Amino acid sequence: MENMYLPYRMFIEKITEEAPLVRTYRLKFKNPADEEKFSFKAGQFGEYSIFGEGESTFCIASSPTRKGYIECTFRVAGRVTKALANCEEGDEIGFRGPYGNTFPIDDWKGKNLLFIAGGIGLPPLRCVIWNCLDLRENYRDITILYGARSVNDLVYKHELEEWNNRPDVNLFTTVDPGGETPNWKGKVGFVPAILKEVSPSSDNTIAAVCGPPIMIKLTLPVLFELGFKEENIFTTLENRMKCGIGKCGHCAVGPYYVCKDGPVITYKELKELPQEY
Amino acid sequence: MEYKLIKLEKIQEFINSLIATGKQVLAPKQKKEKVFFSLIHSFEEIAMDYIQTAFSAKSAVFPKCEELYTFEKNGKETILNNPQAPENDTIVFGMRPCDGAAFDYLATFFLKENPDYHFKMRYDNTIFVGLTCSSGDEFCFCSSVGISPSDTRGSDLMLTKTENGYYVEIITEKGKKLVEQFANFFEQIEQIDKTKYVANIQKRFDSSALKEKISGAFDWERWEETSLPCFGCGTCAFSCPTCTCFDIQDEANLLGGTRYRIWDTCALGIFTKHASGHNPREKQSERWRNRILHKFLYTDEQFGILSCVGCGRCIRNCPAELSIIEQVNAITEG
Repeated sequence: MENMYLPYRMFIEKITEEAPLVRTYRLKFKNPADEEKFSFKAGQFGEYSIFGEGESTFCIASSPTRKGYIECTFRVAGRVTKALANCEEGDEIGFRGPYGNTFPIDDWKGKNLLFIAGGIGLPPLRCVIWNCLDLRENYRDITILYGARSVNDLVYKHELEEWNNRPDVNLFTTVDPGGETPNWKGKVGFVPAILKEVSPSSDNTIAAVCGPPIMIKLTLPVLFELGFKEENIFTTLENRMKCGIGKCGHCAVGPYYVCKDGPVITYKELKELPQEY
Repeated sequence: MEYKLIKLEKIQEFINSLIATGKQVLAPKQKKEKVFFSLIHSFEEIAMDYIQTAFSAKSAVFPKCEELYTFEKNGKETILNNPQAPENDTIVFGMRPCDGAAFDYLATFFLKENPDYHFKMRYDNTIFVGLTCSSGDEFCFCSSVGISPSDTRGSDLMLTKTENGYYVEIITEKGKKLVEQFANFFEQIEQIDKTKYVANIQKRFDSSALKEKISGAFDWERWEETSLPCFGCGTCAFSCPTCTCFDIQDEANLLGGTRYRIWDTCALGIFTKHASGHNPREKQSERWRNRILHKFLYTDEQFGILSCVGCGRCIRNCPAELSIIEQVNAITEG
């Protein structure tokens, strides 16, 4: 039997500064045999560790279509993320995963996709966005609405530019009022208001929403107004986690474990859970 | 099933032989006014007539603090090492049937899905010898959760004290092997009716009424009122034979260190607190509710087993004198 707590040994190939206190690490396997047996799907997450400090939970932010590496994007918040932020390119860290369920992108074939993200909520969607863009012929319109507090807080700035230049992606970026810069070309306003303004069709459309709880709370009524059905609205949950495999008890929401029953969930399913997330 | 008898004078020799052959014997031992499962060096140390130990023997298979693996730093490389499996068999001797049922639950929880390496390593090396209850106290309520005071669930061997010595039921292959290894202490015997040796544990609540009410109990309006005395110390969880929650922590120096798992509990506010400061269970009443619903609803949904075995420890040990029996009765009464 395998010791499921033993992580893969990874090294940091590339560090990208995304926003204040937000970084993206591209990680590669130290052991080629590990790389060979590793596979994951969009929506899954892992436990990233600094030996001697502990583990931290983040989604895998890169797409499974991009082989040979995984990426994670994190904001410095606690002890482990502080230690992670002190790492340099070439340093070794631990990774165990992938854990959790996935976005059902095969079921989304032939549909329009609407991705709505706020702040550091884009990384969990970036994985599925790139996954769908790399299989572009499977989907119809792809619309991305992304907002952050200020221009500086937007993550993946280069990729936003790339999506903006693609004719097969409708990208709307927005910043909170007061967060704009003189040469800001995107929108100004909160995500729910911009969603109302853009008013995408709900016809044959899947919506995936990820962001701070307040953004999700105010975005949902707009989606319902637009005619989205509860089972066509997806989000990805976050709770304090330790083990990632349904044992330590931390992430439990009633009988539901975010780590193994989630993190991807439809609004229809979410509604049935006790409010403990 | 096979049955044996072990005479009173022989049980002493049996235990001492177990110890002599290098087995680790964990048995109830009196320490001041309480009884604890302790590592025994000779039979005289064992308290055979206790009602309930202060803590269960859960730590035999799920230690309070346990090594998940060690890491050594070698320049930019890290070497990871699996923990060593225990060399000798452990015998949990003289546990009450409620604790046996708890070990049964623990095995389901840890091994059914994503089997747990560390639990299995210890569980496979442990032999469980149960001891029928001849008496109980006002905190015992096994019969209310479907367990009897002579229940053999989770035991490899089950002992019942009779006038002639201990009546032994051989429940599993593991138990049979142990008896065969020490065959000269045991006598052949026919099956007996245990009834007159078994305590009568009163039902303290109506489990079918509870089952009816508990699924809608999340929104019950009396959680705050009934949990008011709770100050969130976690004693209930740490003394509970079925609580399984843990934290993961590192202890290290520049050369390397160990990643441990350590008992944790949903009674503590920090248990669910996000790094952002957001806490899904902000209030103590919400944590208390989670404990009760986990025991009587969530594991029933997940595994078809209640994760309360009626041992009564959380009531005996609670410094705020909260009673899970009173709580359950309050829910069933509405």
